Amino acid sequence: MAHLAHLRPLSRRAIAHLGSSANIIHRNAFLAGPSALLSSASSAPTSPSSPLPAIRATTTKTPSNNFRAYHSTLHPHPQPTHEYTNSQTAILSAALAHIPTHGFSAAALTLGARDAGFLDVSVQLLPRAEFDLVLFWLASRRGLLRAKVEEGGLFARIAAERGPEGKGLGLSVEEKVKVLVLERLGLNVDVKDQWQDALAQMSLLGNIPLSLAELHALADDILSLAGDASVDTAWYSRRLAVAAIYASAEVVMTRDHTPDLAETAAFVERRFEDRDALTQKLTGLGQFVGFWGNTAVGLGRSWGLKI
Amino acid sequence: MSSRSAWRALHYSAKRRAFQSPAPYRCFSCARRAQEQPKSEHERMTHFGFSNVPESEKESRVGAVFSSVAASYDRMNDLMSLGVHRLWKDHFVRSLNPGSALPARDCDTPNQQGGGWTILDIAGGTGDIAFRMLDHATNINHDLETRVTISDINGDMLAEGRKRSLDTPYYNTRRLSFVEANAEHMPHIASESVDLYTVVFGIRNFTDKQAALNEAFRVLKPGGVFACMEFSKVDNPLFDAVYKRWNFSAIPLIGQVVAGDRDSYQYLVESIERFPSQEEFRDMIQTAGFMIPGRGFENLTGGIAAIHKGIKPIVKA
Repeated sequence: MAHLAHLRPLSRRAIAHLGSSANIIHRNAFLAGPSALLSSASSAPTSPSSPLPAIRATTTKTPSNNFRAYHSTLHPHPQPTHEYTNSQTAILSAALAHIPTHGFSAAALTLGARDAGFLDVSVQLLPRAEFDLVLFWLASRRGLLRAKVEEGGLFARIAAERGPEGKGLGLSVEEKVKVLVLERLGLNVDVKDQWQDALAQMSLLGNIPLSLAELHALADDILSLAGDASVDTAWYSRRLAVAAIYASAEVVMTRDHTPDLAETAAFVERRFEDRDALTQKLTGLGQFVGFWGNTAVGLGRSWGLKI
Repeated sequence: MSSRSAWRALHYSAKRRAFQSPAPYRCFSCARRAQEQPKSEHERMTHFGFSNVPESEKESRVGAVFSSVAASYDRMNDLMSLGVHRLWKDHFVRSLNPGSALPARDCDTPNQQGGGWTILDIAGGTGDIAFRMLDHATNINHDLETRVTISDINGDMLAEGRKRSLDTPYYNTRRLSFVEANAEHMPHIASESVDLYTVVFGIRNFTDKQAALNEAFRVLKPGGVFACMEFSKVDNPLFDAVYKRWNFSAIPLIGQVVAGDRDSYQYLVESIERFPSQEEFRDMIQTAGFMIPGRGFENLTGGIAAIHKGIKPIVKA
């Protein structure tokens, strides 16, 4: 027993170190793909040869995540772009640059293929054609959002902006969710005018399952990045609520012509208020039903019913 | 108990009563071919429908089949597939989307784009696919540069295609040319010179399919696409049973009545049966060096036909 007790703290630290360095290496591997799109990729973390700075770096980066995840940190997450081969990724990431001008179209894909050194005919590599472009856009933006939080220190920056009184407290989970939804919507600004095409592609019958899977992945990412730790049915209802708010805000955004998306931000604000109001009402309703139920049972018992 | 043994006895005797013909087995349709035994033992054999023939002989036999069906090719295809083959071919061409819709840019290497695609249509004698691709490039993508070379091993099929090209706007232009060649060996076509290589309902008849795939890999530019539509294996067993019944009963009969040539159509259905499954053929494409997009094939009408695609990888210098 004493032997074990002696070993324990050591091994835990070793695991923490291994985990953090593996995470970093893996994240870099992902960033190397669409690296042209990631400005934060240059902030490379410390080399794994110096163990202590690596630990310190990650602990300062994610101050909120002090609870430990159930999955092994030694094994990499499936990354958003894992299903594409190198050639497909090359064409798709080159095509992303053409979306603002050509939309989510075959033309953008063709130009992307040409930029990557392929022929016009090489877009045959993507069996889902335009929808592949939409999926790749969604997945890469999701990766960017994650990078912003984990490496860009998004929450720390926002807390600092709020002034000295907000600095010590940090953001609550609810605030973080709101920040992340708005941040994710902000990543779509460049393609705002083309987004209806993408929504149309996603709503085609054959594409709906993959689109919903991607929406769920986004809601899941937002909540886990915000540090949500709900373990009961709230796990489902929160993901559902975030997904619904995000998806409806996307539609609103396609018609939002205000600078820096003020209208969309107001819409998101209202939807979160609605959600809170709904939660309150449901809680109230539950209390009401519970109270009258208890009263009825008590009344019955006082009349001699065997309840 | 007694009833069961009685039943078994009945069954047994029923089996025993089977008539044993004194003559050797003679299939109605393949009897003549079965009698023609291959001469030399040491020569490499390949299959011609269900029978085996020496490799040197398959080419001429397939040639004979297609020479005899060239004239009635389209009418027979319509009857055998109930017209569905036109839908397949349209879908095939639409999914390939031939022709450059976007003008070439300065930054593109000149030999890559600028001036449409170079398409090689193998075994496309009657021009079914070639005319569709040229129409698509012209009318959909407004590309007047894309050109198609129709290559076929059979002169009769090519003559049929030439005759049909008279009715198209591409007759006698530089956008359409005909070559009589064996797809397994095409020394007249330079390496890395073709954007799109198509073979539709043809590769089934090749003597050495892998050699043809390797040759396709050679002539394609890096990034070029190999696209093939071919009869394949039906995945639903119930539908398969109906399909087989149609294939082996109806098609040779239609061939006999309409084209007056039962043997050729018997060969056709047998060669369909012998062609590798979707997965096997995809692996053959991969063996030749192609990259496979997604699953690698697309089934049409429950797997009666399948579209296979492969992309030649770009080697980074």
